[in-house]
Amino acid sequence: MKLKTEVLQLDSTTAEVRIKRFITDYVEKSEATGVVLNISGGVDSCTTAALSSLALGGSKVLGIFLPEEETRNTVDAKHTKIIAEKFGFNLETIDISSVLKACYHSLPIYEDQDKISKGNLKARMRMIFLYYYANRLNRIVCGSSDKSETMIGYFTKWGDVAADISPLMDLYKTQVRQLALHIGVPPEIAKKPSTPRLWPRQLAEHELGIKYETLDLILFGLERFMTPKEIAEHLKLPVTRIEEIKKRWLAAEHKRRGPLTAKLGYRTVGADFRIPYTTQ
Amino acid sequence: MPRKINIALAQINCRVGDKKHNMDLMKKHAKQAREKGADLLVFPELSLTGYLTRDLTYNLAEKIPGPSVNSLKQVSRRENLHMVFGMLEHSEKTRGVIYNTAVLLGPRGLIGKYRKSQLPTHSVFEEKRYFRPGYQLPVFETDIGRVGLTICYDIFFPEISRLLRLKGAQLIICISASPAVRRKFFEVFTAARAMENTVFLAYTNLVGIEDGLQFWGGSRIIAPSGHIIAQAKYDEEDLVTGEVDYSDLKRIETFVPTLRDLRPEFFDSLKTHTEDL
Repeated sequence: MKLKTEVLQLDSTTAEVRIKRFITDYVEKSEATGVVLNISGGVDSCTTAALSSLALGGSKVLGIFLPEEETRNTVDAKHTKIIAEKFGFNLETIDISSVLKACYHSLPIYEDQDKISKGNLKARMRMIFLYYYANRLNRIVCGSSDKSETMIGYFTKWGDVAADISPLMDLYKTQVRQLALHIGVPPEIAKKPSTPRLWPRQLAEHELGIKYETLDLILFGLERFMTPKEIAEHLKLPVTRIEEIKKRWLAAEHKRRGPLTAKLGYRTVGADFRIPYTTQ
Repeated sequence: MPRKINIALAQINCRVGDKKHNMDLMKKHAKQAREKGADLLVFPELSLTGYLTRDLTYNLAEKIPGPSVNSLKQVSRRENLHMVFGMLEHSEKTRGVIYNTAVLLGPRGLIGKYRKSQLPTHSVFEEKRYFRPGYQLPVFETDIGRVGLTICYDIFFPEISRLLRLKGAQLIICISASPAVRRKFFEVFTAARAMENTVFLAYTNLVGIEDGLQFWGGSRIIAPSGHIIAQAKYDEEDLVTGEVDYSDLKRIETFVPTLRDLRPEFFDSLKTHTEDL
């Protein structure tokens, strides 16, 4: 197998069918009335919202746009409206600036220059709003994390990744873009540079220091048990660069799992309690 | 021994852990299969409980015969139908030993059972965590012909089907819980096992979603020539029927004489090299 762009070519027709079926099945089995999702105007959330709407019908999908003053972006706002109109789901906009300010004032150790802690607070605040709506409306929260960001831990623990289901989590970012175009997400959204919008002018590829086209190939190689040396040779990159990505992937495991505990009992939650999802 | 039989394949969407629901589904399909003139009805792997039962396995397993088998025996009798289905079986001797088992019922009662030999324990599969493998490959002499049973991942191992054929099976039944990412393997292997052994093969797969795993259906009856006698839909519940004419076996065995051409010394070598792997 040669690591090149072709390996990331998605069978978008099959992916669309399987994801829609997955969403429908989970919502039915959980006896929820639909889904709530955070729509940011980016490719992941717009694609998730579009697929949810195609699967469930627009009346069962509520996209909530949660801007705040530091990262407010009129293009994102416009894109959320375009996608909601095109795929026929409900859209609500709630400015969370005042709630965030209240948090900043309430935190004795708040430090405005610590942009990571502050940014994570924003992501978690969005999660709080989503779950409030989900509880009130008897819906589930549908996440929009992709595989690239999940593997390298480029997300906020208990923040943007917090959801009941994440239909795109087994697709790399470049594959999400293919799927987006396939289902009719406008190219200006599908190809838009990604940003978590945690602080002003934040761009994912700039922060990560790598293009998604390259990152996805590295992650694809790691997924298939290739060594950093093999991947480096395929991609003609320094092996140290691949090792950095691998280290980042492994170090983020704590963000992908439930909390670890000391094993004391007969069967332990998160370790050897293995319960299937059932409707009973 | 009949010359022709009519086989129905019921690819059903089972509810994990809900035996009553699944048994009701099986009863409904048995009635429909009988109305379509079926002599044999085949359900998927672990159709009594759903596939991904994980730790529920320990409390869902039953002895054979046991309450569920006894209940389904009545269905076989009432519909005058042979049936194959999958269930979690616990040992006669200890509750801690569980098998992934295929059960063969006839109108006169329990004919036999087969315990899965090859237990996948990789990727999303964790069967060795829960099951003991079976060590027997029985062939049953029945009113619907000589029948061998296999379960899902067994189809990846040609020696299992070959042994059943060498023991006289005319029909190999494979019950399955195959997720969509494995479809290509099963489509090729089911045809290959039928053709290389000059035997009829009936394959029934689950549909539905369990823990995010989507089962692809695509159940089929394959003639020894590779001809698809019946083909169920992909991804949706379906019930299809097809006729198997055992008299075709003679013609195909003569035209493609793989059994005549078997070389026993290769099997000795195969054993040695497998042990040294």
